[in-house]
This record gives sequence, structure tokens and C-alpha cells, in this order.
Amino acid sequence: MKQILKVENLTKDFMPPFSFGKLVKFDFKYRRPTRALEDVSFSLKKGEILGVLGPNGAGKTTLLKIIATLILPDKGSVVVNGWRLDIDDDKIKSFIGMVSSHERSFYWRLTGRQNLEFFASMYDLKNAKDKIEELFNLFKIDYQDNRFDSYSTGMKQKFALMRSLLNEPELLLLDEPTKSLDYTTALNLRNFIKENLVRKKGKTVIFTTHNMDEALDFCNLFMILQKGKLYALGTLDELRKKVNNPSAGLGEIYVKLTERS
Amino acid sequence: MFKKPLAFIKKDFLTESSYKLSFIFRIFSVLVTIFTYFFIDKLFGHRIVGHLEEFGVNYFSYVLLSMAFFNYVGVGLGSFSNRIRLEQMQGTLEALLLTPTKISTILFSLILWNLLFASLDMVIYISLGIFLFKISFANINILSTLVILFLTIISFSGLGILSASFIMVFKRGNPVSWIINSLEGLIGGVYFPITIMPAWLQFLAKFFPITYAIRAVELAVYQGYALSQLTKEIGFLLLFSFLLLPLSFASFRFALKRARQQGSLIQY
Repeated sequence: MKQILKVENLTKDFMPPFSFGKLVKFDFKYRRPTRALEDVSFSLKKGEILGVLGPNGAGKTTLLKIIATLILPDKGSVVVNGWRLDIDDDKIKSFIGMVSSHERSFYWRLTGRQNLEFFASMYDLKNAKDKIEELFNLFKIDYQDNRFDSYSTGMKQKFALMRSLLNEPELLLLDEPTKSLDYTTALNLRNFIKENLVRKKGKTVIFTTHNMDEALDFCNLFMILQKGKLYALGTLDELRKKVNNPSAGLGEIYVKLTERS
Repeated sequence: MFKKPLAFIKKDFLTESSYKLSFIFRIFSVLVTIFTYFFIDKLFGHRIVGHLEEFGVNYFSYVLLSMAFFNYVGVGLGSFSNRIRLEQMQGTLEALLLTPTKISTILFSLILWNLLFASLDMVIYISLGIFLFKISFANINILSTLVILFLTIISFSGLGILSASFIMVFKRGNPVSWIINSLEGLIGGVYFPITIMPAWLQFLAKFFPITYAIRAVELAVYQGYALSQLTKEIGFLLLFSFLLLPLSFASFRFALKRARQQGSLIQY
């Protein structure tokens, strides 16, 4: 199967923010940068669903944002569909769709439809209205013309997913998309992505979560990240072999692998 | 080519029109400003008649035009940083940067609505000037006025984008905007002709594009000066534009790169 993504030796440090307060106090003490990612390498093929697992601060969001061109890495390389991140970022942006975990990434005074129309224009879509109607039907959205700030959290998340699909992306980056959703809505969303986007349309998905059950239900490949380091990568069976337990659950594998360090 | 800028205008129109009272307050605000200067003119206008001879108008006419024109300066100078900060605070900047849209397109599209609103303000100022205060604009040289307007927006956009670069990296505390805003009103000839000021301040005024812009627009509108009579002012505005615009784009690209390195695109 075609390789969609190749990440090699990705490293990212975040420097502590510059502070005028410390300058005034003549506090010139060196502050160590926070390591968000350390030598992370992996690749993904078309149609795979990779679950990136790890606690808060593991580097999951940083990894996704680097692939999405929003954060620059310090070291390493990212190649999406043959395009290098540092050269072809416009091509990569057309190829990917991202759902972030931030609730506020829409214009709240506009309606849901107006928001989608605006972002469709940013992708230069020729058949924007048809595409938006198609998405409304797909997601079974009834209140298309309500003001965005009146939508429930689940509805806002659906709009975020619809926006990420406007440009028919091949690679979907989903950063904790079910974080604020109730169990049923989250389950429906995962089923929708798996059935309609991956199985029928062959999309590739990277999905971050710290919920093991959710990952197990949704993904066919798993990556365990902690403090920026990649602890394991593979299918459930491959990870079970790593911990020498053929019946281990994902949570058990996660604890065993991260405890070893 | 125009699809994305038009989408920004539509989006900003829809946002602005969702605040129903905004337009009424805008007219009210212009009226209050105009009447303030109308009464200042009644009180002190006669004392500066000599300084306004070259423009051929009284103080009130002078200040009405410069105030109307000053809105465009505000758009160029302040809108870039204000709009970037607004997009950061709304969380939409990251969503915009995820789309394959050029930074220059985003920057200029962000201020188009402000530019249209400044034009609306200009229409309100001029209409009130004509119909309420019987000011004559019969001598106006439209071509000169439009050229000056265009060059003013371009040269102040350079300063505005520089200012947005600071916002991108430091989020608050914008020295470019602060310095220019504080000084241009005082020494640029917006509220009074610069010949009133002491010689050293008049000398300092020569380093600000606003000085040339205000003088040129007053002469083009009230005295009907042709482009050939405004070569000095146009030359300086062109110089400021050529110097500031490339510098500002380079600084914004640097600021954006820095924000991407810091992972601080949506921090504010």
C-alpha cells in the first residue's frame, strides 16, 4: 500500500517564554527547554488508523501540529505524500485535514453554514455549496443556519470534523476529537470516521487520545508516547509480543512499557 | 484571485452586522467628534488663520478633512495588529493558517473590511461637512486625492505589518504602534497645521509619512492641486512605501516563523 507519511528523528524543544519581569530582576538563570518530542520516527500507509496514546504533555498535539505545518521541528524530517514539510507546505495543507482539541476555532457570530462557506473559500473549492450540503447530509446536521455559539459542544466538534473534510483530505489529523463528547456521540463519531472515511474512502487517520478503550475500538495501529519519547509502535498483537503477554489489554501494555523506563 | 479577499469581506460584514447598534454608534461618534472641533474652531479658529492660508480654508474645514483622512491611516497602522490579535484570541488564526492561503493574502484580506468602514466614515464626515456645515469641496482634484489616499494606505500598511509582527511574537506591548500613534497626532498635522509648532518639532515631523499625507490631501481637496504640484509629498510617500513594505513583509515572515518555532500561534 502507498506510503502517506514518513516521519524521521523528529525532535522538538520548547524554550521557556521570554520574561520582562525576570529581566527587571536581573534573573539571567538558564532555564532548560521543555522537550516535547525526541527522535520520533514512524511511517503510515494509506487506510491506516494510528492511535497516538499518551498522558497530557506526552507530545501528541505537538506531533500532529508539526505534521500540519503549524509548528516547526528543531530536528528531523516529515514527508507527507512525497512532499517535504520545509518545502511544500502549501501542497501538504491541501492534502491534510485537522481537527484540533480547541473548541474556539470558528467565528462564533456566524452560523455553522457561513463558517463552512468561509473556510471552503480558503480552499478555493469550486463546488463549495454542494460539498457543504453533502457534509450536512453525511453528518445529519439539522440546525445548519444557527449561530455557531448556540451549538452544543458535540455539534461544534462535528463542524470541526466537517471543516477538516471540506478539501477531501487524504490524511486526517484528529487531536482528541472526542474529548468533550458524551459516550454515544463519541462512539457515533468514531464509527462514522471508520466506516465512511477509512473503509469507504480509504483515508488515513492519526488520532490522539489518552483513552485506551477508545483507541482499541477505533485504531489498527498504536503509538505510545511519553515525555516526547516513542515507547512502542505497532498493531495490538505486535505490542502484546513486546510485553510477552498474548492476552494483554492496551492499558496493561501501556503501563508495562512506560514503567520500564 | 479575489475569491479569498471577498470571503473575508463577507465574513466580516456578517460578523459586524450581527452587532445591531454598531452602525448607529459609529455615526453618533463621528457627529460628536465633528461638533467638538466645530466649537474649538469657534473659540480659537481665528487665531490660526495665518497658518491655514496655503490651504485656503478655515480651521474647521481643515480638521474635518484631516480627521476623515486619518481613519485610513488608522486602518494601515492599527488594523493589521488588531486583526491578527483578534484572530489569535478567537482561535481562528491557526485554522486559517491550516488552509493553503498565502500569508500576504491573509494579511491584506484581514484589513479589507476596516478599509471599507474607513471609507464609510469618510463619506459620513464629508456628507456632514457638505450638508450640515456648508463646507465646499468644489476645488477637489479627484485623481490627486485618490493617489494620495492609495500611497498613504500603502506606506502606513508597512508600519502596520511591522506592528503585527510584534503582536505575533510578543502578543502584547507593541512599540511600533505606540510610538507612531503617540507622535503622529501631535506632530503630523492632523489636528492643526505643523507650522504652528516650534522649528525642531517641524523638523522631526519630516520623518513621519503622515505629515506629507495630510498636507497633500488638504492641498488636493481644497486647492485642487494636480499630481505635478504634489511631487515632493508623493515622492516621500513613495519612498516610505518602498522602504517599509518589503521590510514589514520580511519582519512578518520572521515573526510567523518564530511563532511556529515557539508553538505560540494561538497564544495571546
